[in-house]
Amino acid sequence: MAGVQVGKRIIGAEAPVIVGWENIGKVQGRPIKQFVFTWFQPAMLLAAIAFWYYAPNWLAVASTAIAIRLGWTVLLLVLEWINPRYESWQLTWKEFATDAFYVGMGMTFIGMVDSYIGDGAIIKAVQGAFDWDKFSWFTGLPLLVQAVLISMIFDFGQYWMHRAMHNWYPLWLTHAPHHYITQLNINKGAVGNPVELFLIGLGIGGLFDFLPRAFLLAGAIGMTVAVYQHINVRFNTPRWWRFIFNTVEHHSVHHSQDYEATRSNYGGTWIIWDRIFGTCVDGEAEVLGMEGGRRMDIGETMVFPFREGWRSAKATLARRVGGRSAGAAPQLEPAE
Amino acid sequence: MPGFTLPFVDHLWRVRGAVPIDPSLAPAEAFARLAPLLETPGTTFSAEGEALTYAKHNPAAQDKLATFTRGRLWIERVGAGAVLRFDLFSHALLLCCLAPLLFLGFAQMAVAINAWEAAGTDAAQKTEKKADEKPKPVKKLNPVDEFLGAPAPEDPSKKKDKKKDEGRHSPDEGYFMAGLFALIYGVGRWLEPFLLRRRLRALLAGAAPVASA
Repeated sequence: MAGVQVGKRIIGAEAPVIVGWENIGKVQGRPIKQFVFTWFQPAMLLAAIAFWYYAPNWLAVASTAIAIRLGWTVLLLVLEWINPRYESWQLTWKEFATDAFYVGMGMTFIGMVDSYIGDGAIIKAVQGAFDWDKFSWFTGLPLLVQAVLISMIFDFGQYWMHRAMHNWYPLWLTHAPHHYITQLNINKGAVGNPVELFLIGLGIGGLFDFLPRAFLLAGAIGMTVAVYQHINVRFNTPRWWRFIFNTVEHHSVHHSQDYEATRSNYGGTWIIWDRIFGTCVDGEAEVLGMEGGRRMDIGETMVFPFREGWRSAKATLARRVGGRSAGAAPQLEPAE
Repeated sequence: MPGFTLPFVDHLWRVRGAVPIDPSLAPAEAFARLAPLLETPGTTFSAEGEALTYAKHNPAAQDKLATFTRGRLWIERVGAGAVLRFDLFSHALLLCCLAPLLFLGFAQMAVAINAWEAAGTDAAQKTEKKADEKPKPVKKLNPVDEFLGAPAPEDPSKKKDKKKDEGRHSPDEGYFMAGLFALIYGVGRWLEPFLLRRRLRALLAGAAPVASA
């Protein structure tokens, strides 16, 4: 495979990746279907913002957000059924059940651990050390500005955490299981080792004293933008949207079997961070995963970072203590 | 299948049944038609006479037989007709059947931690006065938001301390996931055997491999 030059890199030399918006697939079918799958994403973003902007205080609470999220997930699953991006990503009963397990772990066990050592707890611990009132002017900003700031600050942190995971071996070990997914579906964002899911959830937004409604609005942006990165739905995403926001096109490139392609599109919501920091590749990919598309089961996902970390540490130790001959064990590539 | 069996209980994770087969079809030809289900990564199988056994190690997501990780299929002749019988084992069904217990466990863990923490807090509160409870200032909206009609923020001092009674963790998510997995199991126990029969019938009916079966 020849690959395509993007900046200084060759993308798609090891596995098929489509580079460039002019080459990606389009929504097929009747005009009404094309209209719906062109404007669905902006319409839902606007609807979510309008709802959280005007909802009375008794309704603008976290439990409402959870209920909406549930209904939203069901709707997106229906869209995957109606208009899949790739037949080879079709959701099966077993894949759905597997994804549900990871979603459940995030909602229960990881959530409980997070409440003790997550960003909220860390921020509370360091808050006494500084004069945080300096940040209180944030609450005087227009709500939408606050919401965009919260979303962009959180995503900025995610961008660098994610990029670090692809460039530093110990962090890569936690992230690698997520890259063994071989197809994208709406709940695949939850698939991964719990250590990684904990790390990627860390944010510094809680440091700033935004209004509660601004946090809910920021959540609405995440729910109607970042959620599409793992969706198996063919959209004719508007050009302005895919310039600013992360899309499943970008994220499928990130998950492809091509090593160079995986080292791109690190942002969760705002692909603009990748454009600023030079890691954006516009395009899409169908063939995903690691090791030629080997599926990693739940058991291996849970132990992978520890097992591989132990093996690598042992090999390194043997090399240093025992000389050159002991270092023959192949090591995983520290990225993708 | 040889080995450990439990009558009735194993219906939870084992699927048995039969599909009609052309009696003139030789066993080798019948099993050859099932190749799309068996010649996939991670699958080993062997056919001896009128029976075939297979095992799948971590099959691919799109493997059409991914739910049933091992099993035995054999041809049984009844009078002038014949059927292909199957007896399959599913790790996925077994784990889905057990998953509600795991999530009920997490829910109970949340309840237990809440109770334990509440006991600790009560003891601490008796010695600690409410010294740090200075009233928080009421925040105002930006004039732009006031103009557009967004509801004003609540007075934080009027908020009741409901959360304190509820504890840090909610068991509701655990209960929800337990219920969801009971539903997923129920759907899977019906759907997957249904799809299996459909695929077997389609493959056995046509000589050419059915890619989308």
